[in-house]
Amino acid sequence: MSTAPVEEAKSPFIRLRGVSKAYRRGDIVIPVLEEVNIDIEAGAFEAFMGPSGSGKSTLLNLLSGLDRPTTGVVEVGGRDLARMRDKELADWRAGHVGFVFQLYNLLPVLTAAENVELPLLLTPLSRAERREHVAAALEVVGLGHRMSHRPPQMSGGEQQRVAIARAIVTDPDLLIADEPTGDLDRKSAEQVLDLFEVLHHELRKTLVMVTHDPHAAERADLVRHLEKGVLQ
Amino acid sequence: MTFGRLVWRDLLRNPLRLALTVLAGAVGVMAFIFLRTVVDLFYMSAESAQADRLFTRAKASITGDLPLSYLSRISAVPGVDDITFYGFFGGRYGESQRDFFGSAFVDPPSFMRVFDELVVAPRQVAAFQEDPCGALIGKDLAKRYGWKAGDRVTLKGTLYPGEWTFNVRGIYDVRTGTLDTNSLFFGFRCLNEKLPDERKDRVGAFMIRVEDPSRSAAVASAVDAMFANSPYPTRTESERAATLGFISMLSAIITAVQVVATVILLIILLVIGNTLAMSVRERTRDLSTLRAMGFKSGRVVMLVLFESLAIGLASAGLGVLIAPLLIRGFIAAVGSQLGVPSDFMRESTLVLGALAALGVALLAGAIPAVRAVRIPVAEGLRKVA
Repeated sequence: MSTAPVEEAKSPFIRLRGVSKAYRRGDIVIPVLEEVNIDIEAGAFEAFMGPSGSGKSTLLNLLSGLDRPTTGVVEVGGRDLARMRDKELADWRAGHVGFVFQLYNLLPVLTAAENVELPLLLTPLSRAERREHVAAALEVVGLGHRMSHRPPQMSGGEQQRVAIARAIVTDPDLLIADEPTGDLDRKSAEQVLDLFEVLHHELRKTLVMVTHDPHAAERADLVRHLEKGVLQ
Repeated sequence: MTFGRLVWRDLLRNPLRLALTVLAGAVGVMAFIFLRTVVDLFYMSAESAQADRLFTRAKASITGDLPLSYLSRISAVPGVDDITFYGFFGGRYGESQRDFFGSAFVDPPSFMRVFDELVVAPRQVAAFQEDPCGALIGKDLAKRYGWKAGDRVTLKGTLYPGEWTFNVRGIYDVRTGTLDTNSLFFGFRCLNEKLPDERKDRVGAFMIRVEDPSRSAAVASAVDAMFANSPYPTRTESERAATLGFISMLSAIITAVQVVATVILLIILLVIGNTLAMSVRERTRDLSTLRAMGFKSGRVVMLVLFESLAIGLASAGLGVLIAPLLIRGFIAAVGSQLGVPSDFMRESTLVLGALAALGVALLAGAIPAVRAVRIPVAEGLRKVA
């Protein structure tokens, strides 16, 4: 009887098993996450909520390959991130993950188009192909007309949309959003969340978001709560 | 966009800071090249010394003198092809320090033979040799004072008291060699005839031209052996060794100049390093964002190093452009006292200055570059400039 292929087909896109994370400050060990087990299916839109210091961002860093767990297994798309070397992780992130940060993290010296183009510099695409991808990504976020504008010339909402365009320009499997509406007014926040829904429903991206905002969390398929590093 | 464009945009993030850093670097490069050129000036004559010439001076001191009677005895040493002599006169043309230039008495006929790198019109050579108080002056000295053949020049003697008037009989240039074009040479007779008996017939040094340069050491030994037990023992060495011996008296100054040149490199290092450290610190979040996107540490290090290199290149370019102007001004002001040609400037020194600036810039960028990637990505993303 061959059950293995059936189990493989059912395995989640993101799988965390017994994940703990602690930071060391001198002699003091500060536990941040404890024995976290999570499964997230491909194409899901999940939100993590919890008070400050509950370990939300740490969890996001672990499943996006920005950090490694102290113990446990973090598997994304069948790859065990904890076992990958820094260079492998960098390559993996470049090909599979798009990031949206609370403060947008756009380079102020570059135009919107150049910011969106940054991740494409790591691909073998030609300049013309990169330009096409950038234009398409900016059209998706409704900013095709602001390509040559620099971040300081744009509103917070527009900057966050440029950041989303940058996150999706390489067509990653996983989108990581860390407080994406935390620095925006309500209207801009709604626009950003609308975009997330488009990415989730129409482009079938797996979206993991950390937020303090219950209104934002409502848009997710599933909301999980963290409390003092423990999944509730 | 390209990687290079990203470097360029990052460089222009703070244009004023960039301009000031490049300017500071350029001043450093200029000062480095200037000081290295000063050192080059000291060694210039030694490097162009003739292989077939020996220099015989008093063994006791380079400032001591020797009897003129040695001339015929040295001439008789096997291997000696020709010989001449000279003596430092130390005349001053005016009251100011700037009016001091090299002046020496020579034996005109043999001087012209032994120093065959001198370029003088034949008619002027004849006039110089015929006139006991005739003088040959270097072309740069002539240009400085507007002197020409037929003029009379009166110098105040510092080693030979009194006022001494010479007739300018010719203007010389040099093809190569240890002589500069900022000096005045006059006939020995003019001075010797007016000296008291106890100072007559004494010269500063003999210059010997040997038949075979490979036998210079043997000839030098033979000359020194001949006078070893005399009241005035000699020291004979190659022209290059003699010049280096003279320079060695200034070794403390030369060493100080070299130390200052090295300190200037250190200052460039600190200036560029400080700018880059500030710039990288301000951009910690941006650089971490790049790393989060998948830029590897090596690429981020290269980004910072290219910025550093660009600053070094701009500093080197500007410094190399300005340095020759400064050196020309310096030589115009004091060149006659040093006896250097007005257009002295070594390309190798410019290249050295530029390369030193680039090397130092890369070194200055290395620490901020490595620090930029040592900070964990997740931590860097939280940094706010």
